[in-house]
Amino acid sequence: MGMIAPAIPKSWYLPSKPHKFCPGCGHGIVLKALGETIDELGIQDQVVFGCDIGCSLLSWNFFACDSTQTHHGRTTPVMVGIKRSRPELITIGYMGDGGGYSIGSQHLLNSAVRNEKVTLILVNNTNYGMTGGQMAPTTLPGQKTETSPFGRDVDLTGYPTRGPEFIAELTPDSAYVARATVSKYKQLRRFLRNALRNQMEGNGFSFVEVLSTCPTNWRTNAQQTWHFLEEEMEQYFPIGEIKTPFGKGDK
Amino acid sequence: MLTLFLFLQEVFFFTQQNTARVVEAYVGEYASGKSEMAINRALELKKQGRNVTLVDLDTVEPFYTLRTLKNQLEKKGLKVLAFSREQSFGLGETGAMLNPAARWALWQEGDIIMDVGYGVLGAQTLNLVEGAYDSPELKIMAVVNYSRPMTGNRERIKKYINSLGRVDAIVANTHMGDESTVDLIKEGNREIFAVAAELGIPIFFQALDEKLRDALEESWEIPVKFIKRFMPAAIW
Amino acid sequence: MPKIFEANKKAFITGNEAVAWAALAAGAEIMFGYPITPQNEVMHYWTRLAPEYGKGFLQTEDELSAGFTVCGAVQSGKKAFTATAGPGNVLMQEPFGMAEAMRLPLFAVIQQRGGPSSGTVVYSQQEVTLTTFGGNGEGHRIVYSTATHQEIFDYTIKGFNAAWKYRFPTFLLGDGYQAKMREPLEMYNPEERGIEMVKTYPLVGLEGKIGEDREPQHLCNIYSLEEELYEVVMKFAAEHEAISPELVEYEEKECEDAEIIILSHGVVSRAADDAVKILRAQGIKAGYFRPITLRPFPQKQLREAINRRPARKLLIAESAYGQLDRLTKQEIYGETVAIENLFMPGVGIIDYDIINKVKSIL
Repeated sequence: MGMIAPAIPKSWYLPSKPHKFCPGCGHGIVLKALGETIDELGIQDQVVFGCDIGCSLLSWNFFACDSTQTHHGRTTPVMVGIKRSRPELITIGYMGDGGGYSIGSQHLLNSAVRNEKVTLILVNNTNYGMTGGQMAPTTLPGQKTETSPFGRDVDLTGYPTRGPEFIAELTPDSAYVARATVSKYKQLRRFLRNALRNQMEGNGFSFVEVLSTCPTNWRTNAQQTWHFLEEEMEQYFPIGEIKTPFGKGDK
Repeated sequence: MLTLFLFLQEVFFFTQQNTARVVEAYVGEYASGKSEMAINRALELKKQGRNVTLVDLDTVEPFYTLRTLKNQLEKKGLKVLAFSREQSFGLGETGAMLNPAARWALWQEGDIIMDVGYGVLGAQTLNLVEGAYDSPELKIMAVVNYSRPMTGNRERIKKYINSLGRVDAIVANTHMGDESTVDLIKEGNREIFAVAAELGIPIFFQALDEKLRDALEESWEIPVKFIKRFMPAAIW
Repeated sequence: MPKIFEANKKAFITGNEAVAWAALAAGAEIMFGYPITPQNEVMHYWTRLAPEYGKGFLQTEDELSAGFTVCGAVQSGKKAFTATAGPGNVLMQEPFGMAEAMRLPLFAVIQQRGGPSSGTVVYSQQEVTLTTFGGNGEGHRIVYSTATHQEIFDYTIKGFNAAWKYRFPTFLLGDGYQAKMREPLEMYNPEERGIEMVKTYPLVGLEGKIGEDREPQHLCNIYSLEEELYEVVMKFAAEHEAISPELVEYEEKECEDAEIIILSHGVVSRAADDAVKILRAQGIKAGYFRPITLRPFPQKQLREAINRRPARKLLIAESAYGQLDRLTKQEIYGETVAIENLFMPGVGIIDYDIINKVKSIL
């Protein structure tokens, strides 16, 4: 019996496949959903994809789209610089929770306030994966990481960042803000499509946080990984469209 | 081409009323010579034996303001409402420090000459001076240097003057620093007069560096004030 | 492109304004900036002029963002620039480093203020080391140090061209005095002076259908292997060295028979020029040497100037505590001329400071 070839998005860059994300990592799911969305919208030649430092860096040559890689936290201003200069391009910034909510938070916050017409995708896996599993702004209370070895103590380090919620507060109605999860693929696709449509229609800032998995640093098997995502993360970080110019939004 | 003579039929002059006191505010484009005009005007009034207060309302610049000249000007008998160099701290990043005394400048006795810094809000800076707009004595003088690119043609001068808000008279201060010539000044001021005539704003005077006194061959129809340039020494 | 100036026009302006007008003349399309004294009027004037000429401007949230938005803009093929000073220059070393690594045609104007830290907003020459060798790299940059408003105008135009021709980040190093002083200069359209503006082109967002007309662009500045990075840095170093002879610029006066050569850069060289004239009139054989490019440095020309008579002494005068001095010493290593110095960090230097120093050491 032969293998069934998986459906590969046209906008994927095949020479860089198989990709280098760990087994069970959610990045592959997000990037597949993004690739399919780029195909569906027919925008491969207009996209400029920018990736941050951290595991998101591994996507620097993931797509057969013009791509650029920046510094930790600085993908947002690079995308803003491109979009402000060439409004006809479709800019997609791709980053982790550290890049977006910590080292690059001033860029995220201010580009949201300015309603920059870029699309940012932030992958939340509750830790700094590439540097070896340190505490992130999104690390859950009590969660053990290399820099919170006894579990995140909220008295010392505060509560996890709820990014889409604060971005929704900062943006006008023309912005698109959502939180998706790799456990709900069709919804993830829909949110990414809306986030790109919102930029293409020139409405405003578009932001999707995607809850994702990091079995390597969580040290979890498949069941435990999925359990942490669905039972812990999705409980703390509500899924849905928080702000959308397209209808009422998917809660 | 219009001649100066033709203009003279339209240009009219501003004469300071013989009121109890003179209250003048100098506004204008960045580096147009506001401070220079204010200093020279204050010293002129002082020479007439009047009691004169010079007020620093430049909220933008740390450089080229009255502050660096405060001590020197006070020695000449002016009262100067400004922080001195020593009194400033960190320049407030930068000039956005208003000496509290400046707010109450109009409560001073005698003549008041105000040096208003540049900025997109123009003469609105005078809102910072208590009672300025209620003062019947207040005259707002717009200083224009034709060698400044933003006031380098008629269209731009008109646009600029209109952006200032209320203007009572214009001071023509065309010059090119050390490279000034009488011809250059005449040519530039002629354009300024044309705009003034069009806008119906009187000319107060045209400024001429005293160094050029000898180069001036004929008498100019429009009143000239010879000025001494203090500001090049005002760099922090 | 519409002509910016109807005729070569003399104007009486500040150095910061000269930057804005020259950027316009050079065909710059967008500026990104963040307020910091003493460069603010670059933005003030660019924002006044931008709508009139269909140009872009964004006031970013900080200097990191200003630098990185410029990185993005030039990657998309637009002639973009920024201006900063002091602590802003410190923050911008991060994007400047990226521009160095990715060979981005970034152009930035630095108006030096006093340091360290917030220092003063007034003046210094203390950002020489930062601007030439800042960042976690090898200083593969082009740095022009100007002395007059005319030079600010000329080298802003030249700076954009150098950035786009060589693709090394390029800097115009001014200072607070130059930023705020007013003096006449001639403003012109570069084409009318026979200066051809280097055409810009995109690094991302290219024309054509991917997979049919062209391959996708994948730009990166990170490498997995030591050897990969080594190859890249060595290639940059070789290219930087190769273009140095055509890039270096300097000014030399009265060095033929000079016993003492005064070495200075930027606005201090105006004082040095006056000092040499006065010293010569007093019969003291003084010479003048001024690097206009601090990076690459005119080291061959300086060595020649020193060895002409040869000079007995080299006096390095700067408004910093030895930044030009260190730069010079590494460039002319091996010369035996005695090096003296006049270091006045964060303070202006006038001709008499230099004359007094010369007399005290001859």
